[in-house]
This record gives sequence, C-alpha cells and structure tokens, in this order.
Amino acid sequence: MRWRRGRLARKVNHNLALLFELQDIGFEYDCVPALRGLSLQIVEGESIALLGANGSGKSTLLRILNALYFPSHGSLSFCGRRLTPQLFNQDAFALSFRRQVALVFQNPDVQLFNPTVFDEVAFGPLQLQWPREQVLSRVNATLELMNIAHLRDRPPYRLSGGEKKRVALASVVVLDPDVLLLDEPTSTLDPRSQSQIIDLIQDWKGASKTVITATHQLEIVEDIAGRIVVLEEGKVAATGTPAQILSNQELLVRANLVHAHRHSHGGLTHSHPHLHSHSKHGHEH
Amino acid sequence: MSRGFVESTIVSFSRALSRALMSEEIARQPGLLQSLDPRVRLIGLFALVLAVTLSRRLAIVLALFLAALLLAVFSRVSIGALAKRVWLVVLAFTGVIALPAAFLTPGRPVVVLAGGSLRITAQGMATAALLIARVETAVTFTTLLVLCTPWAHVLKALRSFRLPQEAIAMLAMTHRYVFLLVETASQMFESRVSRTVGRLPGAEQRRMTARTAGVLLSKSIDLSQDVYLAMQSRGFRGDIRILADFRLKPWDYVGLLAFLCAGGVAVWLGR
Amino acid sequence: MHIPDGYLSPSTCATLYAGAIAGWYAALERVKRRLLSRFVPLISVFAAFAFVVMMFNLPLPGGTTGHAIGVTIAAIVLGPSGAILAISIALAIQALFFGDGGITTLGANCFNMAIVGSLVAYGSYRLISAGSSLSSKRRVVAAAIAGYLATNAAAFIAAIELGLQPWLFHNAVGTPLYAPYPLRIALPAMMIGHLTFAGLAEAVISAGLVAYLQVADAHLLRGTSGIPASSEDLLIPRVTATSPRRLWLSVALLMLLTPVGILAAGQAWSEWSPTEFAVAGSPAQIAGAGSVPSGTIPAGMQRLANLWTAPFPAYAPTFVKSAAFGYLLSAMFGVGFLLTLSLLVQRYVERRRTMRYSR
Repeated sequence: MRWRRGRLARKVNHNLALLFELQDIGFEYDCVPALRGLSLQIVEGESIALLGANGSGKSTLLRILNALYFPSHGSLSFCGRRLTPQLFNQDAFALSFRRQVALVFQNPDVQLFNPTVFDEVAFGPLQLQWPREQVLSRVNATLELMNIAHLRDRPPYRLSGGEKKRVALASVVVLDPDVLLLDEPTSTLDPRSQSQIIDLIQDWKGASKTVITATHQLEIVEDIAGRIVVLEEGKVAATGTPAQILSNQELLVRANLVHAHRHSHGGLTHSHPHLHSHSKHGHEH
Repeated sequence: MSRGFVESTIVSFSRALSRALMSEEIARQPGLLQSLDPRVRLIGLFALVLAVTLSRRLAIVLALFLAALLLAVFSRVSIGALAKRVWLVVLAFTGVIALPAAFLTPGRPVVVLAGGSLRITAQGMATAALLIARVETAVTFTTLLVLCTPWAHVLKALRSFRLPQEAIAMLAMTHRYVFLLVETASQMFESRVSRTVGRLPGAEQRRMTARTAGVLLSKSIDLSQDVYLAMQSRGFRGDIRILADFRLKPWDYVGLLAFLCAGGVAVWLGR
Repeated sequence: MHIPDGYLSPSTCATLYAGAIAGWYAALERVKRRLLSRFVPLISVFAAFAFVVMMFNLPLPGGTTGHAIGVTIAAIVLGPSGAILAISIALAIQALFFGDGGITTLGANCFNMAIVGSLVAYGSYRLISAGSSLSSKRRVVAAAIAGYLATNAAAFIAAIELGLQPWLFHNAVGTPLYAPYPLRIALPAMMIGHLTFAGLAEAVISAGLVAYLQVADAHLLRGTSGIPASSEDLLIPRVTATSPRRLWLSVALLMLLTPVGILAAGQAWSEWSPTEFAVAGSPAQIAGAGSVPSGTIPAGMQRLANLWTAPFPAYAPTFVKSAAFGYLLSAMFGVGFLLTLSLLVQRYVERRRTMRYSR
C-alpha cells in the first residue's frame, strides 16, 4: 500500500502551509483546567513530539486537535477554518475531517469495540460510507501492511498488547489520513513492537504526512520528530529542535521528564538527572 | 472468603458466557438460521416466542421446543452447549420458583408425602411443567437468535423496524460496555480475592464491596467516555453501518411464511 | 424480579407494554432535548452497570428472583429519564442474551424496575436530600433509603402482577394458565426476599456509591442535587423539572388505560366467561371457580376491594363488582398514586429550590 502524500493546507506563502493554529486555548474538565492559554502553530508535513509528564495536557491537546473536545476559550483553526461544534453538525465537513485527521488513543482497549479485527478495521471506512468493494480492498490491504492478516477473525480480547496496538493503528491507517495524532504509541510495548511503530512513523514522515506524537519517552523523540513542544501544566513551556530541548537539563527536570535519584554503577553511587529507562548501560562521567 | 469465591465464580461464569455470546463465531457458520435475512430471523423467532406464551397445552409447547432443537441442529449450534449454558440454568431458577406450584395448586392429589400434609396434585404438576416448558422454549428461541446473528445485524434489523436511532446507539454501546465491565470486574475480583486473606467482618466486607463497586463505576465511566470519543473519532455519527446488505430473497419469504405458519398452528392447536 | 415468558397473560403483557412504551417515549423525549452526544454513553454505562448488578440474583420460590437493580445510582446521577432508559436497556439485553426475563414480558419488567423503580428512587432521594450540600452525609442516607424503597416498590408491583394471574386467567378445570401463585403467596414470596436481602443490597450499593462519588467524582452528583451550576457542565445535563408535563400525561393515561386495557383484552380473549359473573359476583363465587379456596383473601385486601366496588352504581356491568377487578384497580391506582406522589415531590422540591435561590 502506497501512502498518499499529504497535501492539505492551501499554501499561505510558498514555504509555509499552516495546518493548525491554536490561539490562547483553554480547556477544563469540570472546573479543573487542563489547558490554559496554549498557543501553537503546526505546519503541514511537520513531525512534532509533544513532551510532557502525565497531567501536563498532552492527551487533552490531541483530542482538541481531533475536534473531540472544543476549547472553552481561545480558537482552533484547521486549514484556516475555525473549528466549532456547529461546524461538526454538518455531515459533509465532519466526515471529511474524520478521514483527514486521525487519533490513536493511548489505551487500545478504548479503540477496539468490534467483534473481530476485520470488523474493527472496517469500522472507519463504513462510517465514512465508502462503497463496499473499496472497503473490502482497503481493509485487506491494511491488514497485510500491518502484519495482522492472520488475526482477522480474532476477537479483540484475545490479542496481546502489541497486537492490540497494531490493530488500533490499522483501524486508523486504513483511512489513509493526512494528519496522525498518536497518544503514547510506544509505551507498554516490547522493544520489537516499539521499533515497528517507529518505522511506521518514519514512513509517514517520508510521505509528508503531519505526525504529532505525544510521549514521555525521551529516547525515541529524535527518531520521530523534527520539532519538540514541551508542555507543562497546560501551557507550552518550550519549543525547539530535539537537540536544543534534550540538552536543556533544567527544562527537562522542571517539566518532570527526567528524574534524579541515587543509583549506582561501576561500584560508584551518585545521583544526577537521567532518563527514566535505566536500560541504557554506562553513562559516562 | 466463601462469599468472595461465590462472587468471583459468578463473574467468571458470566465472563465466559458473555465472551461466548459476543464472539459471534456461530453467526459466521453456514446454517439454517444464518441463511435467512436477519429481519426474518427476528420476526420469526419472536413470533414463535409469542406462540409459546399463547399456547395453553403442554404438548404444543413441547412441540415448539422440538422445533427449537431442530433449528439449533440445522444452524450448527451445539446442543451440549445449549444444555449446559441455557437449559440447566433456566431449570435451576425456574425450577425452584415453579416447584411450590406442584404442592400449592389445589386439585386431584397424585402424590402424598409427609403423612398427608404435603400433596402434589395433578393440576399442580401440569402447571409447573407448563411454566418450566414455556420458559425453556422461549429462552431457547431468543438464544438461537442471538447466537446466529451478529449484534450489529440485530440492531440494524431493529432500526429497520423504526426503533429510534438514539435507542439503537445506546443498545450498541451498552453491549460493548457490558463486555468491558464484566472483564474489568473479573480482573478486579481476581486480584481482590487473591489479596484477601481470611474472612473480613461484615461491615468491612460491605465497605469493600461498595468501594469495589465505586471504583468499577468510575473506571467504567472514564472508559466509556473514551470509547465514545474513539467511535466519534472514526466517524461515528449515531447510525449503525454494516458491510452486509439486507435484501429479501425468495428463501427469506419461505422462511418467514414457515415461521408464521408454525406459530399460528401452535396457537390454534394450543388454545 | 425478572418475569419470564409465560408468567403473565398476553393481555397483561400488552397492557404493561403500553405503559412501558409511554414511559420510554417520555424519557426519550426529555433526553433528546439535552446534549445527547455526551449523555448517551453515560446512560449506556449505567445500563451496563445495572446489568452486572442484576446478575447477582436468587430465585424466590413462589415469585420470581430477588436482586438489587442499580436503578438508584442511575437515577441519582442521570435523573429519572436517563435512569428509565438505562435500566430498560439493561433489561432488554438481559432478556435477549441471557433469557433473564422474557420478551413478551419485557414491557412489564421495564415498567416495574425501570419506570416505577426510577421514579420512586429519584423522588425519595430528592425529598430526603433536599437542601443538603453535595458532600453531606444526608445524601448517603437518602441514597440508601431511596434504594430500599425503589427495590421494594418494584417487587411489590411485580408481585401484584403475578398474584393476579391465577385469579384472572385459568382454564375450565381451574389450572392457572400463567403464574400460578395467588396474591397471598406471591406477595409474601416477593416481598420477604426484597424487604430483607435485595432491598438492603440496593441500599448498600447506592449509599456506598454516593459516598464514593462524593470523594472521587462529585460533579456526577450535581445533576440531581438541586444545586444550581456555577459553570456549564458539559458532561451531565442539568435535570430540572421544567416540564414534566409529558411524564404526567403518560402517568395519567396509564392510570386510565390500564384497568380498561386488561379488562377489555381479557374479555376479548375470553379468558373468563361472562356466565361466571351473571350473578352479582360475590368474592366467594369467584374464589370457588378459581384456584384459591375462599376465605383465604387477606381481610385488608378484601376491604380495599370493596372500597372500589361499593361505589359503583347498579347499572354498571356485573363483572365490575368482582373482587378481581377491585384488586386490579387498587393495584393500578396504587402505582399511579406512587408515581404521582414522586412527581409531586419533585415539583415541590424544585419550587422550593428556585424560591430559595432567586432571593
């Protein structure tokens, strides 16, 4: 299956095609603010890593980008159009948006609600009212691509964690969206599954799709993103290239992305900020 | 500990049952019921359930039960599974409920026990038998419907009978949530039973049950919000969309006629 | 208290279906006017929750089964309309998937547990908790009492429906055609199980959940608390009594139509021959033709029956004076009375709240 090249936003000027524009977004869950005064611009074809500790607002932001929540104040525009609930009452716009912008949830169980894997992957195309033949051919192609064709008749509760993640991805990939919003795609996965997903993200980058990945795993960001946006308590704390952000220890500690505690190696006990995964052997001093 | 054991047994049993019912494997087999349009299946099986309720003669109800058996066999439904999961359970419950009728219904005594104070009457036995037979037969028909029809098709058929769209959406989601809830509850019970050492005093038990229920409810509410968002994210707008096309073939008309005739004859003979 | 297929006569089923459909229609109309997209998954969660709660049941010989319902917490969080829909959906899925409760009796089961249960639960919770803060202990107590009352109300109605069957519907030999236990057996059988175990279970669950939610997720309790919202709550729509007119209408219709419906349908099905009642029917004669020996009608119920039959003028059809008709009337009016009472309570509480906060 060949990826369609992302080509969404009308070019504002030759170099920049603004996809999402968020201005001073605020959002509350029952009077508890999750996002406050968040402003961000996302250009088409970008690959962004949203970094932040749990509770920093990453998931909320992704859901707002996917128009599942609407901000309580501030404005969100997609391709120059302001996204409002009224706009999504129109079937035509809603369905075309849902095809173009896809969200993969952190918990795959949330996304697997059909009796078999095949039905699950077919759910999206059916909702978009594609013709029957197209649904069948695209679903089969996607199952092959994601290496889950052998699971087509399996019910979701009989899948392993990695398989569930792949099915959840497949259910979104079948639509060939132009924007992919991924919420912690590699957490809880074994190394091989993680690398498969990283490969997939890099394929999408190559096809000029816009990929926004929320993660707290610093070790993968360089592979998946050209720009990092750090969230802290519902606001953008910093934005920059991976090299810039990852070298800013103070920022990382403040945003609760690294920790420092006493540990020992080589017979020496000390403490300094380091990444959460302790699998990396030997950091030098 | 024994009460925890009972609870977890119930939950694991229902988990197995709900998985079996929701796996829709039988629905994919080529069988008699599966070959009919889902709407015909719905109308036909409900008509037979109605006939069971309208029949007043045990013989007719048993004939309908036989019909249910035949339908099961020809639709690749295992009789053994039906017996274990459906008939025995119904017998246990309805049997206990109906049993006193054998003693309490006045009429001609057939069996006299305990020196004359306990009498089983012919009318009583007839009543109890009719009650139990009716329930068994009716439940068999509904179980056949559900085993041989994917839930999405049941909903689509109901929608074609003009059930409101909101009701259909709620039925669809509840079906999914029940499954999620039973799974979550099973896991919670398993971990709780293994963590509890010895028996807890009554008040503590109740508090723990209430807290477990509370956590389960909270988890379910959170999960359900996310599930709904996920459905919307992939274009769900409230209506059920399926791959299959509901179109009546001549065979469906034959089936419908057969169902309605069987029901009509049963009602007539059993009046 | 799921009533299986074959326990209620077709005419009883049809009548209670009519009542249930009225309730569903009213509830759906009220829910539709809210933010449906947020409310619908929440209703479904409570439907699923009630489903699980109702799985734990015990057979009650002489009645049906005894169990908690989960209707109380649904009514407390969702309000009466949402609770009616939630429990009805749970019952529908139970009937289809587990054969728990019949298809022909789905209307009756929904009427008993979903409609009567929700209204009694909601009414008593609002009444007892009126004016208290979200985190007050009174709400926990209110939930417990509401749960106890709702479960027993539902069981009571079910017992009446079952207990009337052998009176009204039997063959020439006297064998009951449907539920075989007369009132004097069905009532105690059902009520003992619910006054003790099932009612208490519902009370404990409801109280425990309210106490838990007060700490963990208090905003879920706000919808029915009578406390005006400070900010727009996207999740739980406000449950106000601004226009319960439709619900009133369905209650009124129900009260009027039910006895008429059962009788008319019963006549049409010839389930009782008019010749039995040719003589101004005395209870003894009816009892003799039926399955229960005379003299066993509880004196209190006898008096109640006479209350209804006595005022009827001489030109009324003779069957009107039968004890069975009297029982029916008292049962249906009892239901109507209960429903009306809870609606009145709801109205009163609302009026007091608006008065207090408009000062």
